[in-house]
Amino acid sequence: MAVAVPVFHVLLVAGVLFLLGLLGVLVRRNVIFLLMSLEVMMNAAGLAFIAAGAKWGEPDGQIMFMLILALAAAEVAVALGLVLQLARRFNTLDIDAASELSG
Amino acid sequence: MQYLWLVPALPLLGFLVLFIAQGRLPDRLVAVVGAGSVGLAALAALAAGLDFRQSGADAYAQTLWTWMAVDGFAPTITLYLDSLSLVMMGVITGVGFLIHLYATGYMWNDHEEPRGYGRFFAYMNLFVFAMLMLVLGDNLLTLFLGWEGVGLCSYLLIGFYHRDAANGYAARKAFVVTRVGDTLMALGLFLLFRELGTLEIQQVLAAADGLSAGMATAIALLLLGGAVGKSAQVPLQTWLPDAMAGPTPVSALIHAATMVTAGVYLIARMHDVYLLSPTALLCVAVVGLATLFISSFTALVQTDIKRVLAFSTMSQIGYMFFALGVGAWSAAIFHLMTHAFFKALLFLAAGSVILALHHEQDMFKMGGLRKKLPVPFASMLVGSICLAALPLTSGFFSKDAIMLAAFDHPQHGLMFWGVAAIAAFMTALYTTRMMLLVFAGESKTEPHDASKANMWAPLVLLGVLSLAGGWWGFDIVGDVLPDGGLAEVSHVSPQALATIAMPLLGILLGLAVFGRRLIDAQSVAATRGGRLARLFFFSGWGFDWVYDRLVKGPFVWLARINESDVVDWLYRIAAGTARAFHHATALTQTGRLRWYAVNMAVGLIVVFLIVLEVL
Repeated sequence: MAVAVPVFHVLLVAGVLFLLGLLGVLVRRNVIFLLMSLEVMMNAAGLAFIAAGAKWGEPDGQIMFMLILALAAAEVAVALGLVLQLARRFNTLDIDAASELSG
Repeated sequence: MQYLWLVPALPLLGFLVLFIAQGRLPDRLVAVVGAGSVGLAALAALAAGLDFRQSGADAYAQTLWTWMAVDGFAPTITLYLDSLSLVMMGVITGVGFLIHLYATGYMWNDHEEPRGYGRFFAYMNLFVFAMLMLVLGDNLLTLFLGWEGVGLCSYLLIGFYHRDAANGYAARKAFVVTRVGDTLMALGLFLLFRELGTLEIQQVLAAADGLSAGMATAIALLLLGGAVGKSAQVPLQTWLPDAMAGPTPVSALIHAATMVTAGVYLIARMHDVYLLSPTALLCVAVVGLATLFISSFTALVQTDIKRVLAFSTMSQIGYMFFALGVGAWSAAIFHLMTHAFFKALLFLAAGSVILALHHEQDMFKMGGLRKKLPVPFASMLVGSICLAALPLTSGFFSKDAIMLAAFDHPQHGLMFWGVAAIAAFMTALYTTRMMLLVFAGESKTEPHDASKANMWAPLVLLGVLSLAGGWWGFDIVGDVLPDGGLAEVSHVSPQALATIAMPLLGILLGLAVFGRRLIDAQSVAATRGGRLARLFFFSGWGFDWVYDRLVKGPFVWLARINESDVVDWLYRIAAGTARAFHHATALTQTGRLRWYAVNMAVGLIVVFLIVLEVL
């Protein structure tokens, strides 16, 4: 019997990961890094689901993780298109360049 | 009689055809449509009238449709024919047709307005329709619809030559001044509706007994206000002389024969309400008396032939109001009818003179036209003796009936009769002056008479009506309203003889002063007193001057100090606040993705904190 990792620790790691990802989204201007930070945030959420599923012995947590994987794949498909457009139109990967829609 | 609806429908159809064509019809077709529609309406009116007389009924009502239905208040469009509206309908369509016929010739070579011929007849037809709705409506609301309709047409036709700013000013003046009266009238209608819950004329007259004395007086006076404005009586008379800016057939139709008598019709129609209030009745008499006195003096010193006729119209309508006020209802309607004949004749004859002199209206530049313009001269002579009320003309019968009824007034008989007699004397005097100035003396201009049959035929017909219209007057209008005072007039009493003598004296004095020059009018007018009196009378007793000081001056002053409208501030503050909020919220829309992400994160945290009840 393997030694069980306490749920609290797993959630702590997930929280730290999520905050790191959020920080990345907020401070990075390069759109590639921004997308990577988003991936980190989603994986943090996934980790939290797995831990919760294991805690109550329910399959739901793992199902949710599968959904998150699908979501991440879809997001990458769309986001890469946007990255291409950004690169073509502004000749840069700086997200702040695309700020023409201001009030 | 079931074809009664055709009478107003035909002029409306004529208007619609001319309006939709927008002046693109050839002039000949316009003349056929414009005069023909009114002519057919006159035939329909004649048929309906004969039918009505034969049936012997008191009244005939034809309901066309329900106008609106709101919670028990359901006015209908109903045409109501009785003796009173029959007389009015006959005058409007009959005299109206003759004037339309005349206008086809008068306006023919009028090239001042592009496509003006069609526009002119469109307005004229619309006017006839509105006037017919006014007199045929069985409902005060329909009456008011026609009332405002004729006001609109009057405005449009006074300002017909709209390139001249003065004509536009005259049109606006007429519109605004009559609007003052119309506002009072609308208030009267509201009051009537609140008290009786209906505007159906017959129901109102039947239920009028239930009004308290004060309420009846208030309603009667408010309605009198409307009548005074529309009929150009003191103190709202100042618009009529300026209204002469319109083409002469317009003056004949609207500002002499029909629209300006609408006030007389209104009071006659509502006579049961006036009978409840001796005060209001006395006011009607005094208004009429003041107007006929003031305007007969003013007419004496005018130089413009149309202004003479305008002031004379005011004074004759003053006689009608006076007759209503002393309770001689039928005499008032009788005078309305005869006045429509002879004043339309006078205006049309004056129009022929004006046209022959290339739109010259100053009487002092005319003279000696008797031989050169025989038809207008004969017509004008006939109109003048009717206006002066020489015995056996139509004007004599109707004015005599009024004067003698006034003499029998219980309280103020002698005074009423005296003032009216002085005005009758003045009427004969200024009429003589006008005739002598225009047709006698040496010739000063070379007239160019281009009138054809369509212009002199109406003159002849109106001349016959003016001379003979009084002979059957008792048969036609004797039973218009239930007072029966028309037939009992005796012509041998001293007051009757004096009434007959007054115009004769006026004519004699006129011949002596302006014909033989036994007294030189110019030298009288040149003295200091004479000059002041002339100026005073010429300006219409200074009413315009008073209104300029009393109403126009303060209003302009108020408008000037309040150029940045005080009331507007409230709305400016509201608009400014909204704009400030808009700018503030627009600042948050930076267009930067990361800024939005920060906002979302912060918002999320706040929501969490609220859910966790930390905040």
